[in-house]
Amino acid sequence: MPLRRENVFSRQTVVKTTMLLSVVFFFALFSGEASAQKRFSKNYPAGQNVRLRLMNRTGTVTVIGWNKAQINISAELEAPAANIVPQNLSGLIDINLLRDNQDREIGSVNFTIRVPYTAMVDIETRIGNLSVTNITSALVRAHITSEGAITLTNIEATNVAAENTIGDIFFDGTIREGGTYRFSSSKGSIALRIPFNASFKMMATAPSTRNISLGSFANADTNYLGDGRRVLGKFNGGSATITVTNQRGTIAFLGR
Amino acid sequence: MNCSDCKELIGALMDNELEATQAAAVREHLAFCAECAVVCEDLTSIVDACKNGSDEIVPPNSKALWLRINNMIESEVKPAPALPPPPARRSWGISILRFSAAVLVIAVISSTVTYFALRNYIQPPTDDFTSRSAATQTTFEKVLSKIGLVETPQQARERRMKEREAAIEYWNARVMTRRSQWDRVTREAFDRNLQVIEESVKDYTTILSQDPEDELSGEMLDAVMNDKMNLLRDFADL
Repeated sequence: MPLRRENVFSRQTVVKTTMLLSVVFFFALFSGEASAQKRFSKNYPAGQNVRLRLMNRTGTVTVIGWNKAQINISAELEAPAANIVPQNLSGLIDINLLRDNQDREIGSVNFTIRVPYTAMVDIETRIGNLSVTNITSALVRAHITSEGAITLTNIEATNVAAENTIGDIFFDGTIREGGTYRFSSSKGSIALRIPFNASFKMMATAPSTRNISLGSFANADTNYLGDGRRVLGKFNGGSATITVTNQRGTIAFLGR
Repeated sequence: MNCSDCKELIGALMDNELEATQAAAVREHLAFCAECAVVCEDLTSIVDACKNGSDEIVPPNSKALWLRINNMIESEVKPAPALPPPPARRSWGISILRFSAAVLVIAVISSTVTYFALRNYIQPPTDDFTSRSAATQTTFEKVLSKIGLVETPQQARERRMKEREAAIEYWNARVMTRRSQWDRVTREAFDRNLQVIEESVKDYTTILSQDPEDELSGEMLDAVMNDKMNLLRDFADL
């Protein structure tokens, strides 16, 4: 009898131990995943003239205009997770990961931000892709200190600026009268898709490749300078100003 | 006896110190000389007043006394020296040649001052399509450049380069101190981008060494130096 009781006890112990180990294993597994990638989400009420200012360190940023008086910020944070402390300053939503994470190592943060389509957008990152779409406002600015692609689609803004060092830049939007549009890269391709009837004067400079394609905009009002390294042009009255500089890449104008 | 002798002896007469003959002569003169008689009268009143011990000496005819004193003072005042004759009026008649030369000098000076004032006051926008170059210099600017009053585009570029190099040196030192704290992705990205910029700097420097007048390359060199400075500055914060 004592031997039988010992066997039963031993079997129960094994079952309990197995269950306990399973719980510990799954807890460890899920907690590990949680520390590897976290999510951040926050909503702010916003007026039509709201301005979004974002300074990221590493990661992608996607800004989408929508027909709501609200700003929705969502982010996926890789470990070590960054602190994100947006500030709502009377018409300005300010997110600055450099300020919020000074002197601490952080992982990439991938933002998806929805803003009223009339919002002014000013986004910047050190490394990573930037994308802005569906914006009709006074300002769209996208700046990458080092490398990453910039994609600006369905943009109707008076002032547009896109700058990076390595990476492609693509702009698809309208050109407003009197507007200022500046695109600059050191290495990559820059492509601008703008309406045929847009009124603008243009200066495109590609000193290294001399590859400046005007497409359907090539007409008699263009002037090639410096052995083709720079093209000046004036189209439909020349109301807006477009400046494109690509140190070691190509420039292309596409009509739409 | 004349008046002068009489006036000298009046005092002695009043003190009874004259001999009889002299006293008679003085009295005789006083009898017919009104001027000396008045002097004698004044002197007598003064002596009497002193003898009486009165504090206030009042001459018998003070008004007449003051009138005489005034006349004596006026007679002793020397006449003012004659003023020098006014200088002859200078002739301002100038020739047409002088007048033209003066107008020309004034025009040149005022133009130069206006030029520098406008040049310092109105800074051309950095994104202006017509950035300053030797090709866009006016004749007046070229002349001023020749005589060293304004810097040439090449000199301006060299000055900007020196300023940029100083800033780059500063930010590079900061990057070097921070670099060890970056992760591998950041280090590699920084090195890749800096290399691309350095290649452009090298290309434009080579072109400019062969053709210093190539303003487009000068402009691009400015731009890539600016990019380099911005890259270093932004990564120095990480």
